[in-house]
Amino acid sequence: MKRILSVFLFFILLTGCAAPAAQTEPSQAQFFSMDTVMTVRVYDGPGEEAVQAARQAVEELDGLLSRTDADSQLSALNAHAGDGISVPLDSRVTELLAFAKSVSQLLPGDFDVTIAPVMDAWGFTTDQRQVPDPQTLAGALSLVDSGKLEVDKEASTARLEAAGMEVDLGAVAKGYAAGQAAAAIRDAGSSSALLDLGGNVTALGRKEDGSAWQVGVKDPQDTAQTLCVLSMEDQTASTSGGYERYFEENGIQYHHIIDPKTGYPADSGLLSVTVVSENHMLADALSTALFVAGEDAALEFWRSRTNFELVLCTADSRVVVTQGLEEGLRPTGEERGYTYEIARR
Amino acid sequence: MRSPAADRRRPTLWDGLTALLVATAAFLLLAALQSEPGESLTAAVTLDGEILAEYRLEEITQPVTLTLDELSYPLTLLVEGDGVSILHSDCPSQDCVHTGKITQAGQQIICLPNRLIVSLTGTHDLDFDAVTG
Amino acid sequence: MTHGLQRLTRSAVLTALALALSVAEGLVPLTILFPLPGLRLGLANLVTVYALCRLSGREALLILTARCLLGSLLGGNLMALAFSLTGGLLALAVMALLVHLPGLSLFGVSIAGAAAHNTGQILAAIVVLGSRAPLVYLPPLLLCSLVTGAVTGGVSMLLVQRLPAPGRA
Repeated sequence: MKRILSVFLFFILLTGCAAPAAQTEPSQAQFFSMDTVMTVRVYDGPGEEAVQAARQAVEELDGLLSRTDADSQLSALNAHAGDGISVPLDSRVTELLAFAKSVSQLLPGDFDVTIAPVMDAWGFTTDQRQVPDPQTLAGALSLVDSGKLEVDKEASTARLEAAGMEVDLGAVAKGYAAGQAAAAIRDAGSSSALLDLGGNVTALGRKEDGSAWQVGVKDPQDTAQTLCVLSMEDQTASTSGGYERYFEENGIQYHHIIDPKTGYPADSGLLSVTVVSENHMLADALSTALFVAGEDAALEFWRSRTNFELVLCTADSRVVVTQGLEEGLRPTGEERGYTYEIARR
Repeated sequence: MRSPAADRRRPTLWDGLTALLVATAAFLLLAALQSEPGESLTAAVTLDGEILAEYRLEEITQPVTLTLDELSYPLTLLVEGDGVSILHSDCPSQDCVHTGKITQAGQQIICLPNRLIVSLTGTHDLDFDAVTG
Repeated sequence: MTHGLQRLTRSAVLTALALALSVAEGLVPLTILFPLPGLRLGLANLVTVYALCRLSGREALLILTARCLLGSLLGGNLMALAFSLTGGLLALAVMALLVHLPGLSLFGVSIAGAAAHNTGQILAAIVVLGSRAPLVYLPPLLLCSLVTGAVTGGVSMLLVQRLPAPGRA
């Protein structure tokens, strides 16, 4: 009896005095790519392998798409603008160009993949940020026309028709990278992962406990806080807002999301737009386009489609959430004066 | 004064029950103290009820060494991205050093001679996995 | 020897023994095995159990108090006095109660005593620190007290039964 008791007691001691069981730690990597900080966390399968595969996928794309790297494929395309040469490109680059062009055509005036000359005039691509003089701006704006970007997916080539034109894939590259990274993680044999590619959050599968990922949407007026928390599974949430990158001149704030109609920072009454979609690339592109489009146009576009959902934060502190995100939605900004509305079809 | 307990030579069923009672109390207390596990931990260094320093661990990329010379027993803290430990203390018991690194919400390092508490808490308003924006 | 003098001597010897045991225990701290503040085997508790069983509650209290006071003088730590005294007194109270219950052996008494001792220590720490923080150490300490209590319980059983009853030797 005594022995049994002491064995029993020792068992309790072992389980009781050992450090409390830790949640399994994800394999993760944090790195700089595409001018932003990226975090990849993989929760199951061969974690470390999957993380490295995802990182490699992202860095490869960065190498192909960088506008600052003169040796990148995108730089080659821009360098040949107007000389009539169709530039042979990696199939990933043509896929991305074709997609960006299709969004430019879908939402004309709200999005244009050839906006780069205007971005350069504002200095958002360099560190010399300034309000451009009207002549410079008009000149840059005249070069913006995605209709003059020709993409041949079969031959995997692309061509810019006018000299001086430039393509910048900043508004879609992270979304495309998320798709590539997600595929790399799946190929490595993992199915539960969370990617944060500079504020574009991609949720793969579900959490270990079987529940959906919880993704906060940053409050554009107080970036340490969140507007709401969304439940996500196999989706990307991409957010665009003027708060992300801006400068001040003569007391006026100028942000980096340029309205291709005016060449000036978009002033649509929205502070931020979050797009949630199973199509990672679409989420990224639409967040920029619909930020420029404004609340009414964004909701109208949403009603005409079924493959994405929205969270809009307006300048008058309303948070408009489309009905597909209603389940699992947790508002977190009531104390800061936000009111919440559900938009229905 | 006679005592029945003093004359027994073997443990009784009641002994087992007493042990079970103590174990149950321990587990109940453990469950009550269990705090939400969170990705984002905040380490607070409290001296005599006053917060000396607070660290958001997710923001720590390089380990931070905090030396507290003014204490009755000077000590050195190491704050890292995944936890906090006491590297060195002049206190006699060394309990705080022996505690090692704490890494989870609800864990604590206590240095009684210094009346110093290092505690880890999960950040309440951050009950999500990632943030977009 | 008069009866009073005999009692005094007996208590003095037991106090010295308890003190020696607690100092000896301090030389080989259990906290090296388990980094748990306040964890100790509680060998000095043997003396308390013996005194409770073979002498009286009053003498046990006397020995305990003297041991704690002298111990803190030796260690030079007033704060330690608060802990050992609170823990010790609570343990004594619980054991004095249980030792007269019909169903228990010294195993159960010692386990309850060890658990009470740890609870008392933590309560004292909570008061001293003015914070509930030390409470997190109580569950593991309670679980450990099952083992330390069982060990000292077994030893005190031997002690109480093998040692001749005082005054009849």
